[in-house]
Amino acid sequence: MAKVELTVNGQKVSKDVEDRTLLANFLRDELGLTGTHIGCDTSQCGCCTVHVNGRAVKSCTMLVVQASGSEVVTIEGLAPKDGLHPVQKAFSECHALQCGFCTPGMIMAVAGMLKDNPKPNDEQIIHGLEGNLCRCTGYINIVKAVKQASGQAV
Amino acid sequence: MSAGFKGRREDRRLITGKGCFTTDWKLPGELHAVFLRADRAHAEIRSMDITPALAVAGVVAVFTGEDAERAGIKTPPSFVTFPGKGGQMIKTPARPVLATRRVRFVGENVAMVVATSALAAQDGVEAIAIDYADLPSVVDVDDAVAAGAPQLYPEIPGNVCFEYEYGDEARTDEAFSRAAHVTKLSLDSQRVVGNPMEPRSCIASYDREKDVYDVYSSTQGMGMMRGGLSAFTGIPPQKIRVHALDVGGGFGIRSGPYPEYPVLMLAAKQLGKTVRWTGTRSETISSDYHGRAIRLAGELALDGDGKFLGIRIRWTCNQGAYLSGAGPLINTANPALTSCGTYSIPAVHGVHRLGLTNTTPITAYRGAGRPDMAYIIERMVDQAALETGVDRLELRRRNFIPKEAFPFQTQVDAVYDSGDFRALLDESVVQAGWKDFETRRAEAKKRGKLRGIGCGVFIEPAGSGLLPKDQVSIKFGSSGEIKVYSLSGPSGQGHETVFADIVAEALGLASEVIEVRAGDPDGPQDFAATGTIGSRSMMHHGSAMLNGANEAIRKGMDLAARDLEVASADLEYKNGEYRVKGTDRAVKLLDLARKYAAKGATPLDTIGEMAMHRAFPSGAHVAEVEIDPDTGVVDVLSYIGVDDCGRIINHTLLEGQMHGGILQGAGQVFGEHCVYDRATGQLMTGSFMDYYMPRAGLVPTIELYDHPVPSPNNPLGVKGAGEAGTTGALPTLMNAILDALRPAGVGHLDMPATPSRVWNILQDARQAARAN
Repeated sequence: MAKVELTVNGQKVSKDVEDRTLLANFLRDELGLTGTHIGCDTSQCGCCTVHVNGRAVKSCTMLVVQASGSEVVTIEGLAPKDGLHPVQKAFSECHALQCGFCTPGMIMAVAGMLKDNPKPNDEQIIHGLEGNLCRCTGYINIVKAVKQASGQAV
Repeated sequence: MSAGFKGRREDRRLITGKGCFTTDWKLPGELHAVFLRADRAHAEIRSMDITPALAVAGVVAVFTGEDAERAGIKTPPSFVTFPGKGGQMIKTPARPVLATRRVRFVGENVAMVVATSALAAQDGVEAIAIDYADLPSVVDVDDAVAAGAPQLYPEIPGNVCFEYEYGDEARTDEAFSRAAHVTKLSLDSQRVVGNPMEPRSCIASYDREKDVYDVYSSTQGMGMMRGGLSAFTGIPPQKIRVHALDVGGGFGIRSGPYPEYPVLMLAAKQLGKTVRWTGTRSETISSDYHGRAIRLAGELALDGDGKFLGIRIRWTCNQGAYLSGAGPLINTANPALTSCGTYSIPAVHGVHRLGLTNTTPITAYRGAGRPDMAYIIERMVDQAALETGVDRLELRRRNFIPKEAFPFQTQVDAVYDSGDFRALLDESVVQAGWKDFETRRAEAKKRGKLRGIGCGVFIEPAGSGLLPKDQVSIKFGSSGEIKVYSLSGPSGQGHETVFADIVAEALGLASEVIEVRAGDPDGPQDFAATGTIGSRSMMHHGSAMLNGANEAIRKGMDLAARDLEVASADLEYKNGEYRVKGTDRAVKLLDLARKYAAKGATPLDTIGEMAMHRAFPSGAHVAEVEIDPDTGVVDVLSYIGVDDCGRIINHTLLEGQMHGGILQGAGQVFGEHCVYDRATGQLMTGSFMDYYMPRAGLVPTIELYDHPVPSPNNPLGVKGAGEAGTTGALPTLMNAILDALRPAGVGHLDMPATPSRVWNILQDARQAARAN
């Protein structure tokens, strides 16, 4: 067992966990933050993307002990209470989600992408989405949402 | 994007992480289940010892096939109950929900371990001692039906469980005997995995006092799931409550229950606890039923003027080791409906065979036989154009069913309701700039690239279902709210938004007062419906919404007449109120609802109905591609769709369906391929590391144009849209790729057109050219 202390969505959290506990499972099972989804076993799908110290990270690929001492933000904490982050708003307005299972990870990945590159072109958007799978939208409207969220013409 | 689109009602919870998918439910006192699955394709189970598993800390119980058999659980038969060729009936192999004496595919369930944690259950699975005696396996369907192949079942000799025949053989033979030219083509529609992003999972609990089961799982329709679980277990459907708030993708493969679910129900009852199973992606890939897996062969007979005289289809589907409910249906009667495509072909004959192999069973996957039929027909038409020297667009125009011919009775048991195929094609080639294409090809050639353009004109059956009609329930509340219950089982289609809009528009009310609940086990139980399969939801549930709203208005007429003390004939209904014609005396529908609901009666409550029917959406798609011969990489430069989905209710949602459908087709065209090792039967693509999934940018732009011809078969005039994109994408993209490759000497290519396959075939063509 290991003791972890981290900040999740602005709240300090301290727990004893099994050493092998993944950050994704910790968020879902220990903290009840079920907006972080687990869609594969091999770090391909990106449904579990969260921010660790401001960077987009696949939380199924990180042990929670590695995140100890970090600031973690999940989809539930991306926007201030009752508000929406511009990426969340753009996803809804551009119909960039259908079933919604990939959406939290997609939004967290895009929010991370836009921190690095506030005005990505199409090629950069497509490159930035490479680590996130969506089976419903064909990605067409997701690319539009990224443009809209970054204040570019859709 | 429609100008007025501001997002769906579903979106808020999904973009903020508040959605509730199967594994998001948290119930008190849960136990965790993990399945032991066959790690080999074909073997006898010599012995299995579960005692070491029971000794693992945290393990509570182990369930085996004997337990399931003792409980009377058995896999229900498929939906094919009609006779096949020569009056034969389908031979259905028995599938134990947990394998008993033999395993027949990699991933088949063998035992279920239940423990206090998922990790302990996994440790328990690994402690089970199982002794297999391997048997020879067969995974390729041509291998399976050949003489001397390993046999899966002694009672199904030759591994063929059904042959289905349609059309008129003698008439077709006669047509071919008169042909000036016959085009022949064999194609592979390879096995693919549906892969909804939500891994398959299920939770079951049992309420002993009420003798009721609660089952939480992703489903494309609560009624189908309840009915299916009842068929597996013998438990009456009214004792099974299905919970599915958010469903992370369906695509055909999540319509009914899988064998794991009744075992979880059994465990929940026996252990008196809630039992949760969270599937992994590898389990989803190996045990969710697969799609396609069809060997297609066609022959097209033409006269000297390029008129089609007859068509023959030979179709062999690899059904896997067992039969799913829908797998046999979508490989027989369903695709037969469009076996002449969009063309007037006076003679049709088809024979479809269903083979059994040591692979995962096949079921409906987006398109469900439609893309495969469109694919063989449209590739044959391109091939015939090439062989006869007639322009491929002209050949199509010569043979289209003219728009004056609807309703059109095909040579098979289908009546195409409406359409305008020539207009679809004409618009698509204009939008695609087809006439200037050769200039672009020449320019690409200068850069060393192979450029191609291709089209696919397709039609597909939409609608129909498992019950004679679909019902929805409209309930008027005492606070002026309206709750609409449906059993449609959405998984991203936006039913909560669009169904509310339909009811609101019909009632002349703001849609905000209407809440749609699509599959609420606590809602009314006095209605029934088939779920979201076969591109049917708008046709059936949507029409039932409209019919129900109109019926509620009619019921309210009598109440309003009483309130206003006039004859109902003197009333008119408009903008949410009944008005005495020519006066300002009026009563609002919602006031009537409040008044009567307050008295404990709800005479406005209505079951809206829509009878089973079909409509035939159609489309003409054009794609332009460019191939780098040095790498084999194919870039999709443009994709144009001109579609007739009937009347359009919500344009943005329709586009979303088309985008997703086209990309699922593109996935199969460019990379998706579920591969088994031909020698050992081992699954080679068991995770996202190996199984190709389409990613952003695969088809970077899609331009869609509407050409709606309203269907006369339902009051909304809609035709269905969920599968059209996929049906169009297969022939369109492959015809474009072949068009690019032909100048380089390549005459044939099967899907998937991976860079490696394209590069190799170009190398082969180059060497062949050199040798000549």
